Amino acid sequence: MEIGIRRIHVTLACALSIAGLSSVSLAQGDAVIDEIISPDLERREIREAKIDSEDFEVTAYLGGIMNVEDFGSNALYGGSLAYHINEDFFMEAAYGETTLGESSYERLSGSAPLLTDEERELSMYNLSLAWNFLPGEIFIFDKWALNSNLYLIGGVGNTSFADEEHFTYNVGVGVRMLAQDWLALRLDVRDHIFEHEIFGEPVTTNNLSAQLGVSIYF
Amino acid sequence: MNCQSGKQIISLAALLAGLLVASQAVAQQDAPEDTPVVESFSASQFAERIPEGVPDDAEQVVNGAEFLNLYTGPGRGYVIDHVVEYGERLWLLKRRTDWVKVMTRTGKTGWTKISDLDEIFAVEGEQVTVPTPGIDDYRDQGFRLGFAYGDFAGANSLGVSLGYRFTGNISAELRATQTIGAYSDSQTYQVALLHQPFPQWRLSPYFMLGTGVNITSPNATIVATEDRQDTTMLTGIGVTTYLSRRFALRAEVANHYLLTSRENNQEIVEWKLGFDVFM
Repeated sequence: MEIGIRRIHVTLACALSIAGLSSVSLAQGDAVIDEIISPDLERREIREAKIDSEDFEVTAYLGGIMNVEDFGSNALYGGSLAYHINEDFFMEAAYGETTLGESSYERLSGSAPLLTDEERELSMYNLSLAWNFLPGEIFIFDKWALNSNLYLIGGVGNTSFADEEHFTYNVGVGVRMLAQDWLALRLDVRDHIFEHEIFGEPVTTNNLSAQLGVSIYF
Repeated sequence: MNCQSGKQIISLAALLAGLLVASQAVAQQDAPEDTPVVESFSASQFAERIPEGVPDDAEQVVNGAEFLNLYTGPGRGYVIDHVVEYGERLWLLKRRTDWVKVMTRTGKTGWTKISDLDEIFAVEGEQVTVPTPGIDDYRDQGFRLGFAYGDFAGANSLGVSLGYRFTGNISAELRATQTIGAYSDSQTYQVALLHQPFPQWRLSPYFMLGTGVNITSPNATIVATEDRQDTTMLTGIGVTTYLSRRFALRAEVANHYLLTSRENNQEIVEWKLGFDVFM
């Protein structure tokens, strides 16, 4: 019984509301046509800001050293180009050149050198992805507070020496200190891991490099 | 029974009346906010002062949000050391990733999140947005840059690609790959056309057709042979998935058909895993 009464109420309400709506729409009929003919809508204008982006970073190594396993440590020259994806990640392409020293075998045995001077020229490049995992500030005395990043970086690349290409994995860590928004100082330490067969059989080598660079954002 | 239903009707009526009153109250509260921020009382309280050292090309806007936090650097971990008020003017200096460097009317500079800059207005009153590249623009034209690591018929490969999207479905790509194997190394340079039938899918497949050259240099320690250069035809399929607004993972398998000068053409299958970044 109660349900029946409720149902009647609901139907009544529905009928009323429909009637109300239809009468409103009938009354508005002319108004609607007017609106279609002469729209009086206020458009929300949105415009894109003219703003420069600064997501690229070019780095030149001021000084670097690279140790190639068994061939000593020598100066490293090079640079890199990075693209900042977001505040956490950036991708980087890097290039470097160094020379190989004498291996201990060559020095001790006194025999003919294993490699010619030309073959001792090493060049490498790599593509890496880095994670700014410890952003923060570095304080210099009590005067300056410089924004900084500690990042982990890793990637793949190619190392070319002794007339051979060597597929190279690199992993490392670096710190970046921003003197200005567009100017930074970077210190990178990397391990370049590749396999070579200069001594007859394949050996996997860990080759460490450390480089100090100055970078400009553009 | 009747008495009960009568009560129900009364309570319903009371509820309706209450709702009406409430909605009117809300409408009244809304009214002052309809005046644009540029003409608001708050905005008129800030004198039209132009700070020193603001570049000529910097865009001047008025903050329409209740407040705007300024960070000392372009990252969420940096310190908030200033707050821009409602109606205050500011100048947009530059963008880095998802952050914008702004200057306030007092000459103070700081960084603010683009997502916080959703209520800024030009001095003339029109709303201004800061453009950000990313997944929302999958229908728009734009560049993308990708790095990839792969297996090129047993050899390691590393590749870089630069893509340009013409429409939501069609894009073109320049691809360069260096492969380093036990017996030979090679370099490939290709131009490819990609078709993405369902760009809006979370895991979106694509088909690729291309052409290019493959320069193969056998390792000198084994046999002293010359480098060969072959034209290649490229077909491939792959899948991309967005990890964040600007970052997509990508897996691909491609068939390189080398048109050699030898008796038989050569077919090489390459598997690739990489990522794309939308610029």
